[in-house]
Amino acid sequence: MAIIYNYLLDFFAMKLLFKPAKTLGASLLLASAFMAQPVLANGPIGEHVNHLQANLKSYAEEVEWMVGKVDTMVSDYDTKGAKSVKTDDLIEYWESVKFHSAIETNFVPVYASIWQGLYGVKMAIDNKQPAEEVRKQQKAMNIALWQGLGAVKLAAKFQQKGLLDTVKATATKEMTQSATIDEIKHKLDRVVAKFAERLQDEATEIVHDTYLHLFEGVEGTLIEQDANLVEVLEKDFNVTLPLAIKNSKSVDEVRDVISDMQTKLDRAKVLIEKAEKARKDVF
Amino acid sequence: MKRRTFIQGLAALGVVGSLPLPLSRALAADIANPVSVDDLPKLKGELTLYLGRGEGGLYENVLQAIQKKNPDFKLGIRRGPTAALANTIVAEAKAGVRRADLFWAVDSGAIGLVTDAGLAQPIPGDLSAQLQPQFRYKEWAPVTGRIRTLPYNTSRLTKDQIPTSIMEIADSDLSIGWAPAYASFQSFVTAMRILEGDDKTAKWLKKIKKRAKTYAGELGVVMGVERGEVDIGFANHYYTLRLKSGKPDAKLDLAFTQNDAGCLVNASGVLALNDDPLATNFMRYLLSKEVQGYLASEAYEIPLVNGITQPEGLPSLANISPPKVDLTQLADLRPTIDLMRSSGVL
Repeated sequence: MAIIYNYLLDFFAMKLLFKPAKTLGASLLLASAFMAQPVLANGPIGEHVNHLQANLKSYAEEVEWMVGKVDTMVSDYDTKGAKSVKTDDLIEYWESVKFHSAIETNFVPVYASIWQGLYGVKMAIDNKQPAEEVRKQQKAMNIALWQGLGAVKLAAKFQQKGLLDTVKATATKEMTQSATIDEIKHKLDRVVAKFAERLQDEATEIVHDTYLHLFEGVEGTLIEQDANLVEVLEKDFNVTLPLAIKNSKSVDEVRDVISDMQTKLDRAKVLIEKAEKARKDVF
Repeated sequence: MKRRTFIQGLAALGVVGSLPLPLSRALAADIANPVSVDDLPKLKGELTLYLGRGEGGLYENVLQAIQKKNPDFKLGIRRGPTAALANTIVAEAKAGVRRADLFWAVDSGAIGLVTDAGLAQPIPGDLSAQLQPQFRYKEWAPVTGRIRTLPYNTSRLTKDQIPTSIMEIADSDLSIGWAPAYASFQSFVTAMRILEGDDKTAKWLKKIKKRAKTYAGELGVVMGVERGEVDIGFANHYYTLRLKSGKPDAKLDLAFTQNDAGCLVNASGVLALNDDPLATNFMRYLLSKEVQGYLASEAYEIPLVNGITQPEGLPSLANISPPKVDLTQLADLRPTIDLMRSSGVL
């Protein structure tokens, strides 16, 4: 766990090297990495997400509990067979813990991995896979859970320093075009998360809304910089990604499509920042 | 209902009988010169603006510049989808509160929601006089315009092969790209309903649907036309101009219909919700020659005041004859959505 925590710390520390944390730019950077989302699929967020530090102990206990419950289930499957376990309980365990919304509001990529691991265990049991295969999935889930706890601990530190946005019901912030690209990338992370949760319709809706409400706002500028890039991203948003979701490809395959889009969006951000710098003054 | 017609401004000028005016004639009409920001009163005090999402953040640049130029002026901004903010303003008024002093909407339909509720203040005559005559309204000021166009693939068609009537396009053999879920397209259908009636519009939609390829957005339509997937498309003008800016050899040009919804000029607009002169003076900045020029050159929007250069690449407006439609009537979207659904388009 220490290794994962250090990895996350390094990840954010590296970003801060390029933009001092005291600047507004860093706040936006952190906001994009740890973007708070008001609407979640599994019920109310809970005020606890605005007080991460005070809740770290209970989050850690919940992760321990979750790991233990799954381990018991897998052991029962191994020794007593498939009829001895109810795999739907896995989902209930996960949805019953507060840590669930703490990680969903703070580090969506790991949140997706937790769901992926959870369903990995469930499907392996439901498909009566050998115990070894179930253990493999369990291990992946455990890693994602501990990684999630590390991310929440780090987020708590930033929250203590006032560098983390309070979770709000409405977005009223000014959004520059380059910040919009960050937000698009974050929304795409949420697509993986919702797909991993087996919420295909919701994942598709996020893709559609992200295209209409965010990408459309920047593609006018972008097309002046690189028309081919816009063309490829248009296809990704409207064909490639919706089809990957619709055809129920694996989480890893959907994640690959999105990683590819995010790489293109990184290039888009560079171009847009260049265009923003070159833009003439109003007065 | 406080519906006004498109021609009110012209009535005062005695040219009502000549409608619809080609824009070239409108340009020649009696119009005050635009004012430079250097000649505008300094803004002092605080205002709250509700800002509908604008052209890729460029409206934000305008607002920042206005604040920078007026250090004693503080602008609070609430951002959101234009229609949602319009509904909020109306709901707040019903609840007996007013949080916004100004509303800058990207879509004139949303303006109509607020003016119909009787919440907008009258526009001073001198401010209104700076606008092209067909864009003068009593209670709101259009800021910039956008024209509905027919982008076409120049390797597949010549301009004279494209009908100049939007209704005739439904009977042509052209393949068409459209984005029916797109707000601008729905405003265009609303204009068609107002001008042609529901029955003709429904028939038109059904005919087009048979040969149309659907895209998610209108930039997608324009790119589809350029790739040769379809002969023509329905889209706002700036998508084509921007694509051609990024890809100068694009096989793409613009055609226009005449005197019908196919060449509707829609507008973004601003209105004041209180009679504070500060709110009115703020609106003057948006109609200043600097802001109008900036939005024309950077956002490819059409300036609605006199003497400002049109966006680069927009063909001469001399022969374009937009229909006479009270833009605030475009707020009446529900019947349009119903019609599009019953026609199997949505």
